[in-house]
Amino acid sequence: MTELYRLRSVTKRYGANVAVDIEALTIAAGRLYTLTGANGAGKSTLLGILAFLLPPTTGEIFYAGERIDWKSDIARRRRKVTLLHQSPYLFGGTVFRNVAYGLLARGSAGKIADQAVDRALATVGLDRFRDRDARKLSGGEAQRVAMARALVLKPEVLLLDEPLANIDRETTGLLETVIASLPAQGTTVVMTTHEPDRSGRLNGGSIVLEGGKVAHADL
Amino acid sequence: MDFLISSFAAALRLIGSLSPDVVDAVRTSLSVSAGATLFAALFGIPVGLAVGLSDFRLKGFAVTALNTLMAVPTVVVGLLVYGFLSRQGPLGALGLLFSPTAIVIGGTLLASPIVANYTLASVRGADARILPTALTLGAGPFRAVITLVGEIRFGVFAAVIAGFGRVVSEVGVAMMLGGNIRGYTRTMTTAIALETSKGEFSFGMALGIVLMTVALIVNLFLSLLQRR
Repeated sequence: MTELYRLRSVTKRYGANVAVDIEALTIAAGRLYTLTGANGAGKSTLLGILAFLLPPTTGEIFYAGERIDWKSDIARRRRKVTLLHQSPYLFGGTVFRNVAYGLLARGSAGKIADQAVDRALATVGLDRFRDRDARKLSGGEAQRVAMARALVLKPEVLLLDEPLANIDRETTGLLETVIASLPAQGTTVVMTTHEPDRSGRLNGGSIVLEGGKVAHADL
Repeated sequence: MDFLISSFAAALRLIGSLSPDVVDAVRTSLSVSAGATLFAALFGIPVGLAVGLSDFRLKGFAVTALNTLMAVPTVVVGLLVYGFLSRQGPLGALGLLFSPTAIVIGGTLLASPIVANYTLASVRGADARILPTALTLGAGPFRAVITLVGEIRFGVFAAVIAGFGRVVSEVGVAMMLGGNIRGYTRTMTTAIALETSKGEFSFGMALGIVLMTVALIVNLFLSLLQRR
């Protein structure tokens, strides 16, 4: 097992409220984890920390063995990790513009980027949506575009915040298949869910949060 | 009533005949207003973004200060800039007083708080997911902010147009810093004030009609953008 994340005495506070208080947590590379817990347990906050979007109030995070310095190299670290929100934001413009956004941010453009976008859209079953207005998609379609936008980057880590909530059964099945295939391609997945049995279905590990603390971890 | 009707008819004739005095005043007004709006946008948009996107100890004070600056009377701005540009002032050697540049400087000071406040309001009203989405997709902080500006572009355009509306319709700065020199610094508003005081009511009315038309176009455009 290759260690990818290691969290040591990590807390995140909002005023007097402690959203996350994790003594120790290790996440291995190339595995899939479900992250469960009641509303307010700290799941989304933990994902924000793992995505390097939310600096912890205290504690240390190691990624691939290196201690994270939140002040200097955080933009470079973020490019290894992509977070997909439960209710994803799609930029104005076409589906193509959305899916290509991260590639353009990395300086990748042209035919190779075009083909990568097409492949990502095909993976989520939206191969004919390339020129559609992103703001006129249904909730399920928007979720799939956001998934394609993350997949096209081939991130080392994909963090999914309730990716299967509020979407129809057909889309759920498709996205579950896509998500389950990612560890074999080398992508580590951490996915929040309210369905504890999902980790068994997806053949992954599980982390349970209670009051911001790790109550149980099957790593 | 006959006076008003005959003045209105004379005003329309002046506009229709493209009277050089009317054309000059319109051209000066639009050019100094455009210049002031450009500089106000260059200053006000970054300020609005910076205040809206960052957390700092005196943020509440900064927001209050920006709001207060929006309400500063034009003559106070004129007085302040006059102090700097007059011969005895620190910038007197530049010889800018009573020039279009002086009106642009004053107009920039007038419009900048408006542009900054409208931009700030747009940032506050923006979807909170825009920046995290851009960042998690690999954008650096600068690109993420540019993406945000793109997403709230209609609000930013509205900010710029509101700034233009403020500058084109004011009279204090143009009068005090421009000096109302015919064919050089005479704007629509200063010409209206002067010609009306001279008894040339129809001339003032002609410029009033043009000014109202400009204001109408600006406001139509503004409300169009705010609906987007």
